[in-house]
Amino acid sequence: MSRNLVELVRRHHALDAPTALDVLKQAVELRGELTDADRREAAARSGLPEATVHGVSTFYDDLLQPRGARHVRVCTGTACFAATGDAHVDALRSAFGIELGERSEDGSVSLAETVCLGFCHSSPAVRDGDTIDAGPDVVARVLAGTCVAAPEPAWESTLAEPVLTRPGDWSGLARVLDEGVAPEALLEEVTAAEIRGRGGAGFPAGVKWGFARASEGDEKFIVANGDEGDPGSYIDKYLMERTPERLLEGMALAAYAVGASHGFVLVRSEYPLSKPALEQAASAARSDGWLGEDIHGSGFAFDVTVVEGAGSYVVGEETALLACLQGLRGTVSARPPFPAQSGLHGMPTVVNNVETLCNVPFVAARGADAYRALSPGAATSGSKLVCFNERFARPGVYEVSFGVSTRWLCEELAGGLREGRTIKALQIGGPLGGILPAARLDTPFDFDALAAEGCMLGHGGILAFDDRTSMRDVARHLLRFGAHESCGKCFPCRIGLQRAQAMFTGDAPVERERLEQLLETLELGSLCAHGGGMPAPIRSLLKWFPDELGLA
Amino acid sequence: MTTTCGYCGVGCRLETHVHDGRIASITPAMDGPANLGHTCLKGRFAHQFSRNRERLATPLIRDARGEAPRPATWDEAMERIVAELTRIRSAHGPNAIAGLASSRATNEDCYAMQRLMRAAIGTNNIDNCSRVCHSPTSYALRKALGLSGATGSFSDFDHADATILIGANPTEGHPVVGARIKQATLRGMKLVTIDPRRIELADYGVLHLSPRPGSNAAVMLGIAHVIERDGFVNRAFVDARTEGFDALLELLPSYAPDAVEAISGVPAEGIEEAARIYAEAANACFSWGLGVTEHKYGSEVVQLVCDVALMTGKIGRPGSALLPLRGQNNVQGSSDMGALPDTYTAYRSVEDEDVARSFEDAWGVPLSRRKGYTIPQMFDAAVAGDLRAMYIFGEDVAQTDPNTAHVVHALESLDFLVCQDIFETETTKHADVILPASSFLEKSGTFTNAERRVQLVAPAIDPPGEARTDFEIIKAVSRALGHELGWETPADAMDEIAALTPDWAGISHERLGRRGLQWPVAPDGTDAPILYERSFTRKGGRAHFAALPYKEPGDAADDEFPLILVTGRRLQHYNAGTMTRRTGNVELMDADLLEIHPDDAARLWIADGDRISVRSRVGRIELPAQVTERIEPGHVFTTFHFPETRTNLLVGASADVNTSCPEYKVVAVDVRPIGEEPAKVPALAGGA
Amino acid sequence: MRVAVDGIDVEVADGATVLDAAGAAGRWVPTLCFDERQAPFGACRACLVGVEGSAAPLPACTTPCRDGMAVATEDPAARRVATAVVELVLSELPEPPASHTELAQVADRLGVGEPRWPGEVHPKVEADTRHPYLAFRHELCISCGRCVRACDELQGTFALTATGRGFGANVAAGLDEGFRASACVSCGACADTCPTDAITEVSLLP
Repeated sequence: MSRNLVELVRRHHALDAPTALDVLKQAVELRGELTDADRREAAARSGLPEATVHGVSTFYDDLLQPRGARHVRVCTGTACFAATGDAHVDALRSAFGIELGERSEDGSVSLAETVCLGFCHSSPAVRDGDTIDAGPDVVARVLAGTCVAAPEPAWESTLAEPVLTRPGDWSGLARVLDEGVAPEALLEEVTAAEIRGRGGAGFPAGVKWGFARASEGDEKFIVANGDEGDPGSYIDKYLMERTPERLLEGMALAAYAVGASHGFVLVRSEYPLSKPALEQAASAARSDGWLGEDIHGSGFAFDVTVVEGAGSYVVGEETALLACLQGLRGTVSARPPFPAQSGLHGMPTVVNNVETLCNVPFVAARGADAYRALSPGAATSGSKLVCFNERFARPGVYEVSFGVSTRWLCEELAGGLREGRTIKALQIGGPLGGILPAARLDTPFDFDALAAEGCMLGHGGILAFDDRTSMRDVARHLLRFGAHESCGKCFPCRIGLQRAQAMFTGDAPVERERLEQLLETLELGSLCAHGGGMPAPIRSLLKWFPDELGLA
Repeated sequence: MTTTCGYCGVGCRLETHVHDGRIASITPAMDGPANLGHTCLKGRFAHQFSRNRERLATPLIRDARGEAPRPATWDEAMERIVAELTRIRSAHGPNAIAGLASSRATNEDCYAMQRLMRAAIGTNNIDNCSRVCHSPTSYALRKALGLSGATGSFSDFDHADATILIGANPTEGHPVVGARIKQATLRGMKLVTIDPRRIELADYGVLHLSPRPGSNAAVMLGIAHVIERDGFVNRAFVDARTEGFDALLELLPSYAPDAVEAISGVPAEGIEEAARIYAEAANACFSWGLGVTEHKYGSEVVQLVCDVALMTGKIGRPGSALLPLRGQNNVQGSSDMGALPDTYTAYRSVEDEDVARSFEDAWGVPLSRRKGYTIPQMFDAAVAGDLRAMYIFGEDVAQTDPNTAHVVHALESLDFLVCQDIFETETTKHADVILPASSFLEKSGTFTNAERRVQLVAPAIDPPGEARTDFEIIKAVSRALGHELGWETPADAMDEIAALTPDWAGISHERLGRRGLQWPVAPDGTDAPILYERSFTRKGGRAHFAALPYKEPGDAADDEFPLILVTGRRLQHYNAGTMTRRTGNVELMDADLLEIHPDDAARLWIADGDRISVRSRVGRIELPAQVTERIEPGHVFTTFHFPETRTNLLVGASADVNTSCPEYKVVAVDVRPIGEEPAKVPALAGGA
Repeated sequence: MRVAVDGIDVEVADGATVLDAAGAAGRWVPTLCFDERQAPFGACRACLVGVEGSAAPLPACTTPCRDGMAVATEDPAARRVATAVVELVLSELPEPPASHTELAQVADRLGVGEPRWPGEVHPKVEADTRHPYLAFRHELCISCGRCVRACDELQGTFALTATGRGFGANVAAGLDEGFRASACVSCGACADTCPTDAITEVSLLP
């Protein structure tokens, strides 16, 4: 990130100026599109240079898609693709007579693609205005104008005592403050609990907190990564909307351990229900004295601001997320420096996934040993939320222990596939995760075991493709997503994903050697896990489904 | 070819790229100490003037006043010059002749010129344009500290925790230094800007103060008051290294922030905060420009700036420096070279027997001990009939000096005027002989930048047609007048300078290399990035506090002239625009505009872009208005880049009490829209 | 601290990068998005080198040195990827880069021939020549960010920005209004640093 731009943002933030992204989003919401006058106003109000604001306005999907009086966003995520082969998208395009990203001549309706809405349990999903509807007949309802908010299945825990699927009660923070646990002691406990990041990288949270604690800065921040952009994943959505207080408690504990004074939750704009839920919980927490000055008489002060994103998958990467939070283009920055040393406004910042933070209150309340006991015998401590896509008989969010068999998860917990179909392959952890063929379903569900299969645990979404889905189509779908979401900074990803996508577009045979070279370039050369991770599923397909890929 | 830029006092090192004998492009030198691989649109792009068809390419002689000049040979021009100057000297004495050295020309050119005037003609009537910009700085720094130059380098901005920038707009006047200051502020340096206009850097600083033009002294005294009151005086430093503090102490009680607010219009809290920011910084710099010096009491304000730095001991170490932003590329050097009526090289008085004798020995002729005329005195003397001839090189006094009417009158009163320049100018209109000279791209020698850094200049191309380098011309004129300068090359001239000037002892072209040297340079070549680390160069080694009360400026707004005009520069053009107007820069800015605040504009029924009339006690001009919030109500601002505007018609005779630097920054004016038919010729108020 | 680059020992200061060390050892590392006047950016990935103890090659410009580090500038995997990256970059341009450009010189030194990637290239946009000194040819931009960073870190005017996303990424002045109308102060730092002639100085001479 530009040090100078971060400094300018910091100075204007101190004067309560809005970010440029805030102002631009407001303009789009008001009038459906952006003009240069909007950009100049955003520059004047945010204190950023006009050129910088122009750059921001051309990066985020929410700012680029023109909106008609009726704005229809159709999900083109992997779960919806697995459900319909994107037939629902084609149906809407031909029915409205406009392309994705276009507005009708008379301005009455606009169609945009969105990835993903978090309704993967009921794919396909469509957002009509602010109503998210989903299900096999959703297209008909959209065309009839009778969309209703789709129901979401209740979540379940397979643990003897649910940890993540019950409401938060601030008992962790209460114990720490009432018993006068020193911040260093809390940090030690969290480190001993070996909480691995749940967002995908699996980095130990305690270690990250330790770096931030050790770094110098006038202020420190906790940022919750609520940009759950992986298609097929809706775990954080459930956490933010059903137990937002648990997330806030986790953030407060992190702040206490690290010495931070304020927290931010970056919520993706594709989850319109999450921000209100979090703000309501924060309001309640303030009333109850769990946020604000002198929490519970301890002298510890902490509060949280919820910020909405603007439509970019890469913003889930921690440095891009911080850029977005500051209203800049959501591009990835080289590390070092790491956010723990220099993050938001150049200050030490902990960026943790929502689910990771939701694990912290239990450790604070019950200790590291109890936490490790949640997954007895497994390599990873704590519990994990997993979610299943619409192909399964019983989709939804489930709390499980690490180390259980993937087959058990798919066939017992989620009931196998509906309509008697069979699992052809699973993509676990998101679009950058490897693909597990049905033959390998007995793999234990844990970080290392899955990695040995060229797969990743990632964020824990389990997405099944059934026998109707062509793996070449899957490759094309994933690469199209990858290329569209590339932030454009590093050369391998910016150009390489475009070339890879082109290889699978149309019917031309794919030259394997050229593809392998491209995959190596992406894997070894990319600046972040977006370009770096895209080869994994393609490599799985090459290994397990070479005949379906149309190789030369 | 690597050379040094000929535009402003930053002294960017540049790489010139030549194709077929013409400049194809100029790029910044990565290892330039002042510019570090950066430069501005003037040094980078504004070089097309070098091949502009209006370049003087042959000598010109004007046979009679009012006629157009005609081409002549060098021999003919030389004969005419020798004949006239000799005649005038016989009839009226050597002091009836004066010379003006160009602050754009090299150290060697200026040294040659002052030697010509002193040895070939026999007078100390030699001056340079620092007179109208930083002469107050030179005077004050010598008086307070000892040496006439910045006490540190531009790199001190990088090491400072705070800086007070007063009366300068470096993002326009010294772009590369302005950029450097801006980067420092973004890294956390606390910048306080003091200027009637809200300059660009004010948006990056922590505090901006907008004093009434002419009230800088009160502001500085207010800051000094707060520093003393709140216990920030560095007593150890004051006692060990200064003298005269008690006199200042007696003055300070009258300048409490409230009193200063009444005088300057700056809120008392602003004075308090500025003082605190400066005093609490571990290291802090002061930087100033012509907004401090071009005032009636400019030299006093600079002394007060020194007072504040001395009170807190913030001088003589990295990050704590006094950095006047010298305007021209070699205004520092032209004065260092003694192209001044009262000093030889390194500011040693013409009245000093030992110094005068050393030059007499070196040059083999007796030299006058009598101080010569300053530029304003030259014009007064011309009008009075005491000055009969002038030899001006590289300066357009008719456009850039104040009170144009008086200047023109003076030039027309002379019997003989020689101008040596690269283009015809407002001044050459009055010349009897015009000699075609060289630009910075066509000569070799050295420039001294605002950091006292002497840097090499290397020619990239030849002067056009029959034009010659200034060095060769001055040598030829001196020889023709009977005084052989005896140098082959400018390097030889520098060797003489080094031999006769202790502060320059270690300087030679060979030693300067790519990075130059900051004087004083010891005989072994050790240079001086920081001055006064252990002692000041005044007698006794102590710095001197000046106790100077605030006094009113030479002009003030009243009912008839209710607004105050400040004149200055913009980014795209350089001073008279002689060079920049002949480059693509005119596409970026093609006229002088009068900046006026929306409140004043509304009151006067002036819309943005309207043509307006501006009238002062001595003159009237017309130009378009630019309505902007960057300026405070009550003030207006314009530039002097375009001769057709004749901005300096407005500026009167008020000047610095010690150095005669004109008060360009405080001119009371009346501004109003003009009718449908603007006057064709600007009229003078109250007669010529 | 001491670092070995291709077997050559060099002393480097704290905070030095692997690229600094390679420079000190006189060993060439290809770069496209690097300019010594700017903070390292890490976008082009051409500067990948092998580092003992790291399974994957590391980008030299953004990797800090550690005492005792052993660097191999011609590590086979690193060079393979760097060469492939340069080939990809050449493939996105509508025409080969002029031979004097940094891109052409790096490609030449790495032995990258004509790119074997048919397909989309940057669309040709009308060249912006409204400014007397600076010209913009957007289709030649490889989004290395150097011009934007020059205007940010060197000049401090912030007249330029990266635009778009992914393959469509490019650079614009102001609100994509050209140099002349933007905040540009015409210092030319962008033209100086551009490795492909997307931004050039308008030369009045042939």
